[in-house]
Amino acid sequence: MNDSKSIDTRSDLLKLLCEAAELEHGIACSYLYAGFSLKRDLAEGGMTWEQQQTVRRWASQIYFIASQEMLHLALVWNMTTAIGGTPYYLRPNFPQPSRYYPLHVPIELEPFGPRSLRRFILYEHPEKVAPQRKLKSLFALAGEDAEKIEFGSVGELYGLIKSGFNNIPEKNLFIGSRTQQMSSDLVHFPDLVKVVGKASAIAAIEEITHQGEGIAHDRENSHFGAFVAMLKELVHAKGRGFSPARPAMQNPAARLDASYGGKAKAIGNPVAAEVAGLFDSVYSLMLRMLAWSFEFDSAGVEDQLRKFCSVAIDLMPRVLLPLGEGLMLMPAGPKYPGKTAGPGFGLTRHVMLPPDAKNARQLCKERLEELASLGGTLLKEQLPDSVKNGCRHLQAIANAFLT
Amino acid sequence: MKRDFDVIVIGSGVAGAIAAYRLAKLNARVLILEAGNHNPSRAQMVGGYATATLPKSLHSPYVQITSDKDAPSPDSSINYYDTPDGFVRFRSTYERRTGGATWHWLGHTPRMLRSDFKMKSTYAGGPDFPDGFVDWPISYDDLEPWYCEAEAEIGVAGSDAEWQNLFHSPRSKPFPMSMIWPSYSDRWIAGQINDKKFEGSVYRVLSTPSARNSTLYDGRPPCAGNSICVPLCPIGAKYDGAVHVAKAVEKGATLWEQTVVTRLEKDKDSSVHKVEFATYGDLNKKNRTASPVTAEMVIIAANAIETPKLLLISELANKSGKVGFYLMDHLSKSTYGKASEPLFPFRGPPSTSGIESFRDGEFRREYAGFRLSLNNDGWGRKGSPYADIVDLVTNERRIGMELQQALFDRIGRQLRLSCSVEVAPDPANRVELSTMKDALGVFRPKVTFAAPQYSLKGLAHATSTMKNMFEILGEKSPDLGEVGAFDGAGHIMGTCRMGDDASKSVVDANCCSHDHHNLFLLGAAVFPSCGSPNPTLTIAALALRGADHIAKHMGLKTMQVV
Repeated sequence: MNDSKSIDTRSDLLKLLCEAAELEHGIACSYLYAGFSLKRDLAEGGMTWEQQQTVRRWASQIYFIASQEMLHLALVWNMTTAIGGTPYYLRPNFPQPSRYYPLHVPIELEPFGPRSLRRFILYEHPEKVAPQRKLKSLFALAGEDAEKIEFGSVGELYGLIKSGFNNIPEKNLFIGSRTQQMSSDLVHFPDLVKVVGKASAIAAIEEITHQGEGIAHDRENSHFGAFVAMLKELVHAKGRGFSPARPAMQNPAARLDASYGGKAKAIGNPVAAEVAGLFDSVYSLMLRMLAWSFEFDSAGVEDQLRKFCSVAIDLMPRVLLPLGEGLMLMPAGPKYPGKTAGPGFGLTRHVMLPPDAKNARQLCKERLEELASLGGTLLKEQLPDSVKNGCRHLQAIANAFLT
Repeated sequence: MKRDFDVIVIGSGVAGAIAAYRLAKLNARVLILEAGNHNPSRAQMVGGYATATLPKSLHSPYVQITSDKDAPSPDSSINYYDTPDGFVRFRSTYERRTGGATWHWLGHTPRMLRSDFKMKSTYAGGPDFPDGFVDWPISYDDLEPWYCEAEAEIGVAGSDAEWQNLFHSPRSKPFPMSMIWPSYSDRWIAGQINDKKFEGSVYRVLSTPSARNSTLYDGRPPCAGNSICVPLCPIGAKYDGAVHVAKAVEKGATLWEQTVVTRLEKDKDSSVHKVEFATYGDLNKKNRTASPVTAEMVIIAANAIETPKLLLISELANKSGKVGFYLMDHLSKSTYGKASEPLFPFRGPPSTSGIESFRDGEFRREYAGFRLSLNNDGWGRKGSPYADIVDLVTNERRIGMELQQALFDRIGRQLRLSCSVEVAPDPANRVELSTMKDALGVFRPKVTFAAPQYSLKGLAHATSTMKNMFEILGEKSPDLGEVGAFDGAGHIMGTCRMGDDASKSVVDANCCSHDHHNLFLLGAAVFPSCGSPNPTLTIAALALRGADHIAKHMGLKTMQVV
């Protein structure tokens, strides 16, 4: 990659697409963690009836934005396969320090609050709008630790990707199979479009950046604008006993190992750690099923592909959401007084699902059975209702898949 | 003579609010007069509704305490106090409140079709074709750019691919937002029913365009599937007229609430500048001028009952003698059955898809066209799920896991289909002045309505179509209700029809009174006919078009390129 901020080889473009996939993925998890932390019930305290309405609106907006980040990830996968690559679904375990990406903003799991919102604003800030120095300094992001800044925002990263699609001759670039492309007719994902050439690649990039940072005359209706508005509302509402978020720990890990960043902390409550482990396993399987669907040619296996996508998407609201929210109602352990646990979104080493559809199905079937059984074991414990619901839904999804 | 304002807008529903905003944006001095109360915050209304023991509770956007006496809104047919003997009471209600009835609309925004504007010239000739049908003085093509403008203004989510050129009605611009995603139930039904034929038309499930955000739009959040669009969206993802009231005020418009217009006065030259009003309630009135208030232009944007009522009281705009005539609604009917597979109802917006295939065709020479809606609310309107629990426990003696399984089996497969049938314009259906008066001494409306035979025949076909659909979906004995029975759709239209002939209509193609050059009527009152779509998008498009005409009339520099 050269320093002129322009891409002109397939390899560089694929590398940047991997980086985009990793970033979209990590940012989505970070948003979800903040969303999970928002209180639901008045009995949790710290909010009035009216404030509860605001908190639930924030939660729905954060979940919506996270879902658009997932759409961005899917669009990046389509771009990747269009030019001959394979979908990249891995990412480092949380947290990533500010020097990890050229963004120079850490990617962490932390509950909803002014600090997390300021971090979200930095992720999404428009390419042409310089973030406030004060905001950057919040995360000690002076830039002195960077040898070379390749991009300063997600928007800038996509600017580089766009230059690759513009610079590399179209007829040489798009070597992927058209039937490898995923769209809304195969996966229940609104606005997912196929990338079959330069025009559709540029359109996909513009959709991503428009949703993220908005356009010059409309920042309000973007992720950036929504987070700015949320922060304003939060700051305005503060100081009246308002406490919208659960006291979840930062950067939890079900089982801490060397793959986690230095700031990660092991959940001390053994039952919560089990639930967090189940969350990680379901999350990992969900990703592998989606990645399989985006990787291989759909011709002849459309039904299985639809099934995999349907199960993967079903796992998000019906299992991961209740497990994630429920974890934040469980004590984190004696080392963290007053704190609750949370999902670590831990990715453990595992094989990609194999190209052979039958074998891929067999692997998923067995894994779903194992995880449903684990959920069944957990149901014998004292758990928040939300976690119990997640375990029951997992059993129902596994049963439906097996039949 | 210097008037108090440039424009007075009477009524702050979707039509009045949009017109007020557009004109205030062009620096006109706009006054909005709203009979209803000031709205509490959205959170307070949600709270009022959620904690109430009645479906339509105090403080939710239905019954209000003070204005129910002084500016009465009919909350159900029993509130239509004056109906001639031999007629059932009119069933569709309206809301006198800032933002109007859009507070509790479902948000559906299909356009009218090309043929809906030209019913007489397209289908007249047969013995069963009603005499009341006339062509609109404008065509689909005339209104099409304004439909686009309305979709952008109120924020409509829809599918371009599905709705392009529906019944020869093209779209010149894409929807501003992609569609609200169809529910699982919609997709399952589409898989069973698409491409099958019935009575010469082909079933095709289409996502329904809706003024409900599918993404961040206009500073409002996307729909979060709270499922209570009616009575109100708790997060403001669904559009309501209060959005444009706020925008108008931000642009400098003045809003007077709890202000009931009692009469308009015409000058010697037949122009209308003077608006008399009465107030009630406890809002701060100190910054108001005394009644009457004056303006260069007057817009009545009440609704198709209050607008003719005010004209009749004021003895205005009625040289044709047609004010109050041709009242229309859509005939609505819900039918119930169970699908052969679970549909998992009670999630997402109450309805996300429909079938448009029966809205137009040669059959309209004999009977009315209709829309069909696929609904996501199970048998909620019949009391589900509580009614099912009571029934299973008391009548079938199910308890424990057996009860749970029976509930899952029953509720999971519940499906409601509904129709909205075109009502032919009929001069016998009308709004007059009652002899009764409300607390402020204003005459109440006397409403006469009976479904025309043409529409009842359409209702019968709609019912048999829904029966056929249920058969395809696995229900052999659906609950189709009583033969010929219908509900109101809440789509009150007609009563001040638009036309080129001043002797047969009340307003011209620009919604300006034939009799008074500076008096405009905006809203569904001006519809000469109604087709079968929900009327709000057409109301908004006509309001934008009317506001543009008013601006030009006033010499304001318009921003439109249409």
